[in-house]
Amino acid sequence: MAEQVLFWVFAIGTIAGAGGVIAVRNPVASAISLVATFFFLAGTYVLLWAHTIAVIQVLVYAGAIMVLFLFVIMLLSLTDHGPIVQLSPSRIAGALATAALLASLVGVFRKLPPGDTVTWATDASRLSSFGTLKELGAVLYTQWLFPFEAVSLLLLVAIVGAVVVAKARV
Amino acid sequence: MTVVPTAHYLILAAALFCMGMLGVLVRRNALVVFMCIELMLNAANLTFLAFARERGDVVGHLGPFFIIAVAAAEAAVGLAIVIAVFRNRGTVNIEEIQSMKH
Amino acid sequence: MLNTPTVTMFDLHVVLPAAALVFGAIVLMLSEVFLSSPNRTYMAVIALVTSGIAGVVALNNAFEPARLVLQGFAVIDPFSSFMTVMVCLGTGLASLLAAGFLKHRNAERGEFYALMLFAAAGMSLLAASNEFITLFINLEVLSVATYALTAFLRRGPRPAEAGFKYFILGAFAGALLLYGAALLYGATGTTRLSDLATLLPGAMATRGGLVYAGFGLVLAGFAFKVAAVPFHMWTPDVYEGAPTPVTALMSVGVKAAAIVAMVRTFLALVNGLDPQVPFILFSLLALLTMVGGNLLAMPQRNVKRMLAYSSIAHAGYLLLGVTALFVPDAARSSDAGGVLSATPLLANAAVNASVYKGILFYLLGYTVTSIGAFGTLAAIERREDETRSNTWDLERLAGLAQRQPGWAAAMAAFMLSLAGVPPMVGFLGKLYIFSAAVDAGLIWLAVVGVLSSVAGTYYYLRVVVYMFMRPAAADAPATFRHWTTEVALVVSAVATVALGIVPGPIAEWLSRAGMVFGG
Repeated sequence: MAEQVLFWVFAIGTIAGAGGVIAVRNPVASAISLVATFFFLAGTYVLLWAHTIAVIQVLVYAGAIMVLFLFVIMLLSLTDHGPIVQLSPSRIAGALATAALLASLVGVFRKLPPGDTVTWATDASRLSSFGTLKELGAVLYTQWLFPFEAVSLLLLVAIVGAVVVAKARV
Repeated sequence: MTVVPTAHYLILAAALFCMGMLGVLVRRNALVVFMCIELMLNAANLTFLAFARERGDVVGHLGPFFIIAVAAAEAAVGLAIVIAVFRNRGTVNIEEIQSMKH
Repeated sequence: MLNTPTVTMFDLHVVLPAAALVFGAIVLMLSEVFLSSPNRTYMAVIALVTSGIAGVVALNNAFEPARLVLQGFAVIDPFSSFMTVMVCLGTGLASLLAAGFLKHRNAERGEFYALMLFAAAGMSLLAASNEFITLFINLEVLSVATYALTAFLRRGPRPAEAGFKYFILGAFAGALLLYGAALLYGATGTTRLSDLATLLPGAMATRGGLVYAGFGLVLAGFAFKVAAVPFHMWTPDVYEGAPTPVTALMSVGVKAAAIVAMVRTFLALVNGLDPQVPFILFSLLALLTMVGGNLLAMPQRNVKRMLAYSSIAHAGYLLLGVTALFVPDAARSSDAGGVLSATPLLANAAVNASVYKGILFYLLGYTVTSIGAFGTLAAIERREDETRSNTWDLERLAGLAQRQPGWAAAMAAFMLSLAGVPPMVGFLGKLYIFSAAVDAGLIWLAVVGVLSSVAGTYYYLRVVVYMFMRPAAADAPATFRHWTTEVALVVSAVATVALGIVPGPIAEWLSRAGMVFGG
């Protein structure tokens, strides 16, 4: 029962936050909305028994990435005139395609057979280790070696890239 | 044990994804467009996690783990590029960033 | 207790080319700190040598048997290894072009070459990735490096704008791809491509909707990455705005890596689906891209932009090859006839092998030709041009034959090759692809491809006409020569002609590469 209530609270919060991101004019307000969305999503992740990811979501996404966004917005001190959105035939077509995508996805999801969550979760030992940092780490460092190393390369490239692009003159 | 069905989470994720996509398509402010892409990535994360719980499979947690790392890397370079555009033009409105003719 | 992974030296072969490239990149960045020589052409030489070493390592891999490595997250097979060889070739030539280009602009920096090598490493790893998350990460390695390269120059408004557009487009495509991967994970419980191939048929019964939705989203993501029509918006802007050597690298490396990753992904994803669906979607994509790219290129007077649209058209021909892999059996047997239809399974294998060979040879030919064409533009460009709007107008090429006969002859060879005129390599590439498509039963699509390619001859020949038959403008700016640019142009021109006349050993090798793991 508690999950039901919390789910709806987090779901409405997430959608409202996302709506705020795309609907408000001021980029700072958009960013704050986005932070709220990330927090509500972290709550949803906890409901999905993904505690580790929920913590990472708050630390990295809401903490680091969004601070970077806010920092850049403040740095540029943007003033925004004119309409919030720009419409052209191709953009309207894109928006219609988005609506069609949403409708078909909802149609697909409603027809999904109920999963076997409850079946596996009756095993108490599995349930207690599911989504813990220990379990995640064990798989990460034994099986997921290649993507892990690839991410380290990606972070190096991103550092070099950001420095190169942000330099004043080349 | 009763849980909220996976489909609910999936529909939430689909709504989030489509809102992000809509924002990318129609918003003029480059920074907001970038934020909308973050919304789309989060929708993918939520989908991974919802299916991970349904299957009791930790692989579904590693997807979001890596996606968050990639999002951080992307944000660093993306925001640096936005700053470069702003230095050049004094604006981050996509409409005004059109110096090349079609 | 943890199960420690078993990684042998054998597993690491797949990452060796990328490791060599990354090592070279780090050397370059360190050299920027410790060597302060005013002449920095040595950086291009380091980049060239590094890509050469990586290319040789990859070539060595190409003759190893195809297998899964690194816990099934990567694949080592001739297809991806040959792709890496081409990427290294393209990177080496592009870094030679960059030397002259950057020197002229006083912008030679170790980071530029380092990012080029990083991008190449990403491409090499992308071609070998066998799992969605890994594939996405490696795609981001190459994309992030290319975004930064695109926005590298600070003069004039174009580079930053191009970098920005490329970034938004790439990030959007990545998000589509990931969401599709998440849905496919939901349908099957795995993100590994080779496991998906075995699990998808079983998942179709109860979760068919998820599979189709995931398939569509992944396809859209890849379509953005290879700039297929109608997902090509902004691509011409990106190509036009990026520094010309970077455009050269983008048009060959990024596209080749994306096509190879696309082939590997969809060979796994089509299992269990109604074979008509992927066939129709890929046919449509190939048709629109071939016709659209050529039609859009025709009215362009801006040569760089024309080459951007032409690269879209060439992606269309490659997609025609990809489509040939997904022809349903019914369409195939009704057409092929004779020996082939007697043993359908073997016939498919033979057709697929010729398709792989066609795609690889086409990519090789396009690499040398496109690098050469963009290289000639890079050589003609002037530093002052960066703020002008008519920088790459056809008029700039007028009379090039009198001013720089060597360059004009090379450019003519590149244009003829892009147009597909024998004896250039572009002709053979098209021949391989179109004949493989016909063998697979795609007669109508191949006819449309040939017709649109013939129509495309118009805008390529117009460049040749301007170079050889129009007088140079009186105030034509002097051209700037640099030995590295000349070397790159000579190598690409010789390769463009020589590969077209004697494809012999290379085509032979590529026939052996007609193997994709599990395909």
